[in-house]
Amino acid sequence: MERTLQPITTGTSVLGVKFDGGVVIAADTLGSYGSLARFRQCQRLMKVNDNIILGAGGDYADYQFLTSVIERKVIDEECLGDGFNLKPKSLYSWLTRVLYNRRSRFDPLWSTYVVGGLQDDDVFLGYVDKLGTAFEAPTIATGYGAYIAQPLLRDHWEKNKGKQTVEEARNLILSCLRILFYRDARSLDKYQIATVTKDGVTIEGPLVLDTSWDIADVIRGYE
Amino acid sequence: MELTMQFKENILSDHKGPKQTYFSPYADNGGSIVAIAGEDYAVIASDTRLSAGFSIYTREQSKLYKLSQKSVLGCAGCWCDILTFTRLLEARMKMYENEHHKQMSTPAIAQLVTTMLYYKRFFPYYISNVLAGIDEEGRGCVYSYDPIGHCEKVQYRTGGSSSALLQPLLDNQIGLKNIQDATPVSIVKDRAIAIIKDVFISAAERDIYTGDGIVMHVITKDGITEEKFPLRTD
Amino acid sequence: MALVEVCGVTPNFLDKSIYEEKCVAEQLLELDKKFFSYHTKISLPPFSDPVEKLKTIAVDEHGRGIKIHYDKGTTTLAFKYQGGVVVAVDSRATGGQYVGSQTVKKIIEINDNLLGTMAGGAADCVYWERVLSERCRIYELRNRERISVAAASKLLSNILYNYKGMGLYMGPGLYYVDSEGNRFPGDRFSVGSGSTYAYGVIDRDFDYSMTDEEAY
Repeated sequence: MERTLQPITTGTSVLGVKFDGGVVIAADTLGSYGSLARFRQCQRLMKVNDNIILGAGGDYADYQFLTSVIERKVIDEECLGDGFNLKPKSLYSWLTRVLYNRRSRFDPLWSTYVVGGLQDDDVFLGYVDKLGTAFEAPTIATGYGAYIAQPLLRDHWEKNKGKQTVEEARNLILSCLRILFYRDARSLDKYQIATVTKDGVTIEGPLVLDTSWDIADVIRGYE
Repeated sequence: MELTMQFKENILSDHKGPKQTYFSPYADNGGSIVAIAGEDYAVIASDTRLSAGFSIYTREQSKLYKLSQKSVLGCAGCWCDILTFTRLLEARMKMYENEHHKQMSTPAIAQLVTTMLYYKRFFPYYISNVLAGIDEEGRGCVYSYDPIGHCEKVQYRTGGSSSALLQPLLDNQIGLKNIQDATPVSIVKDRAIAIIKDVFISAAERDIYTGDGIVMHVITKDGITEEKFPLRTD
Repeated sequence: MALVEVCGVTPNFLDKSIYEEKCVAEQLLELDKKFFSYHTKISLPPFSDPVEKLKTIAVDEHGRGIKIHYDKGTTTLAFKYQGGVVVAVDSRATGGQYVGSQTVKKIIEINDNLLGTMAGGAADCVYWERVLSERCRIYELRNRERISVAAASKLLSNILYNYKGMGLYMGPGLYYVDSEGNRFPGDRFSVGSGSTYAYGVIDRDFDYSMTDEEAY
């Protein structure tokens, strides 16, 4: 049997950061086909239920497969009508098992997931990759963002001693997305941004980053 | 077919290129474990850095698992294997508890870890495990493992990315190896804790996969106490 | 979910097979069935040639080498003389170039009259000789007599034969040791990486009629 041993259509970084009373996750909407910027409307953020959001990078087909399974899970939970819903830690834990089992069969789902949500009153932000490697952290950046955005997110987080409002968090994420768009050749200026608070989930976008290429004229040496 | 060829070429060629899409089920997520057993206590500590290559996933990931009131397992290596292994281990221990109406003793856990690791002999968990605890007589004990479950009971042991760096240090400081006319003395608890702090500081200096912080569990007959200390974060 | 089970309803939409993945409890039950009741059966890998396959995946995606070094033993030797059998081993275990331990117990007591030594993969030896000791005990309980050395060694080799070609490392001569020594295929054995040197010494000094002190 032929297995996914390399990703085909891919999404790049996903960024996530906690703020007081919630989480914000963002990703651009480019589906790259190798070095070709092929799909410009690949939405990589998902509302799982009223207290969980999910973002994904890596192979887009694998993400779509997994979203369909997650949707079925959520519908099943709703059908029970017992007043209980899937919680972020459960989804996160389930994802680790799915991805680990697939990697153990040498048939990986080639994508990276960021789970954000509210677990009772606690804010949750977790990362799971294609091996089933998983951890929780106040700031998360996957893909190229791990190198470019993560230091900025952490710096901001440490300077604010872990306290920030929704607006601050959003602005931080946007500035990181902008820098990623400048430097990451597999990124796009269109993005989605999702937030969870106790009032529920909002996913905005696709929006367009406001970027400035004014200084491009004065850069020399790359002609 | 072409993909298969490409895959084969990739795995046979030099993997060190910046971006190679070949699949390896293993990752090395770094981390170090140190454990010391004393007369009536055991101390085990890990750093709190979880890394992959040159990026740090998180600075606050303890690698110690409190298995019972008397034993703590420290794991370093492939983090996804660690998550899986410890989950299965905890579940097995619960099954034992329900069946026998008592918690597993540290030596029993030590044997269980061996068989569980060996079960995966041909596709091993990439983990270096160190188990510390107190046995049924209240004496401290440390067990160390290779990835496929060879177990040895020792007085002190290091595991993980800095193990080769730290073990000789402990050989000297605790084992008093290669010291002339040294009389073996048992290490008191405070001394053990101080040594562990020192060796971790040294490890953080020389090993990029160890740093950020230490979590330390001190196991005595009265239970387990937990302490945290900062390490360098660069 | 629990509520559904209490009500005795099994709706179709709860068909778990669509999720594909087994929860920990299910994995454990499977483990129990396969392994813990019958522990000569260990997990088989999702590839055919573990030795070769594990070599090809020995680097992670960040280019870090995955060095799965198993502890390995080196020199062990055994010979019989008029007073019985002497078994001697060193106590060093290496993982790659690194000396993992200087204090390994390489002589494994299978029962009161049977010893095994280890050379090669430490975990392989300890695990299978532990299985052997269980088997020997069962034999004793069933047959009310001590198992012969030949039978014990046959048991072990039969188990190991199932895993032939999968990269178990065990010294070839380690089965033939007991308190009587009658069933020795040879008079003297030495196994492991230092064995050639050990043979040299043994062959020079060996004398079947030596005394206990000389034997040490």
